[in-house]
Amino acid sequence: MSLTLGQVDRDEALLEVVAELHGDTRADFLRTAALGSGALLAALAAPASASAAVTDLQILNFGLRFERLQASFYTEADSVGTVGKMAPRKQRWAEVLGEHERAHVRIIKKILGSKAGKRPFFDFHGVTETEDSFTRTTVAMEDLTVALLAGVTPQVHDRRLTAALFGLLTVEARHAAWARNIVKTTPAARSFDEPRSLDNVKEAVAHTRFIVARPRMTRRRRSPRFTG
Amino acid sequence: MGASTRGQALRAAAAGGVAVGVGAVAGGWLRPQPTAGKASPAQDARIFNFLLVLEQAQAALYDAALRSGALQGDLLAYARIVAPQEHDHVDFLRRKLGAEAGTTPKLDFGPATSDPKRFQAAAIDLEEATAAAYIGQGANLTRGSVADAARIVAVEARHAAWIRDLAGADPAPRAADPPRSARDVLSELRRKGYLR
Repeated sequence: MSLTLGQVDRDEALLEVVAELHGDTRADFLRTAALGSGALLAALAAPASASAAVTDLQILNFGLRFERLQASFYTEADSVGTVGKMAPRKQRWAEVLGEHERAHVRIIKKILGSKAGKRPFFDFHGVTETEDSFTRTTVAMEDLTVALLAGVTPQVHDRRLTAALFGLLTVEARHAAWARNIVKTTPAARSFDEPRSLDNVKEAVAHTRFIVARPRMTRRRRSPRFTG
Repeated sequence: MGASTRGQALRAAAAGGVAVGVGAVAGGWLRPQPTAGKASPAQDARIFNFLLVLEQAQAALYDAALRSGALQGDLLAYARIVAPQEHDHVDFLRRKLGAEAGTTPKLDFGPATSDPKRFQAAAIDLEEATAAAYIGQGANLTRGSVADAARIVAVEARHAAWIRDLAGADPAPRAADPPRSARDVLSELRRKGYLR
């Protein structure tokens, strides 16, 4: 099975980012380009921007926000019953990834102490409700996390933090490879993982609209969506 | 209080993790190698030469297994994709090291090159050892080299998860991966007879 970004990116959020960065032609090309091709990953990595210096605190707080997003994503997929309906091997995968992301939230929160940002509200727009959309979004999110950590690890100033981030980067890379093997796409598509800057990933996350200003009123919709 | 709290949390994390409140990840929060000096180009070269040995060992295992013709199916597909990636890592480190690059070590994988089960076990050994070695050395590198190491270790971790999944082992056994020292990694490879 060859995944394309158009399939993974239900709300076309990542494609929108790419379109902004490179113009529409590039995004159209990516819509159909097989996931894992060098061209796609290179485009996702975005042009190397002369990024302004970011502080360790900014890196950690965005890391916390992103880990919370992922942890909530897995937790919701579990609570709405999507994980429970999956085959045992896949169920185990979703449960382990959820456990790890929740552990990462606890670790980063502990490091930040009183400087930890508030927990945001999430709305996954029904993506957690079917196995297919959950799985595809997971593949995209785990690869995005690898790119984020590969990008910010060299940016941190505190060397103890550098050491710690290496140990999280490899776990996120394991998640990404595991997810890719489950959907039968190459777990290691290239020799070097492409880094993405903090701002670049922030923008991608903003475009998913998974983080919202206030809590969702209902946890589950009573009728199926017809827009997905 | 933020800075000191954060410093305390990091120290607690570095000291072994109970204070982090996440027992499962305790191993992943060890301090950098105490013998490491301040990051410098000379230290980068020592570290890259150590990592070069591991990249060469991986490339050699995959080359020999592919030559033997013993691999089939998923294992063959794995080795075919991973072998050139390890060669890219070897070439990259050699280019960085230039004249300072060490010579190719003497390696011996015995039956691991012709018996799929043993190949699987050896590949897991090497991928795990390499990922842990990068984690152990990452913070000792200069900033530019940290960026290089991050791009490579992510791929090593992908390999580790992939081969573990093929072997029916848990691809991601911990929430945070622990570092390993160079001495520890090299003595394992010698004990197992891979490195002469």
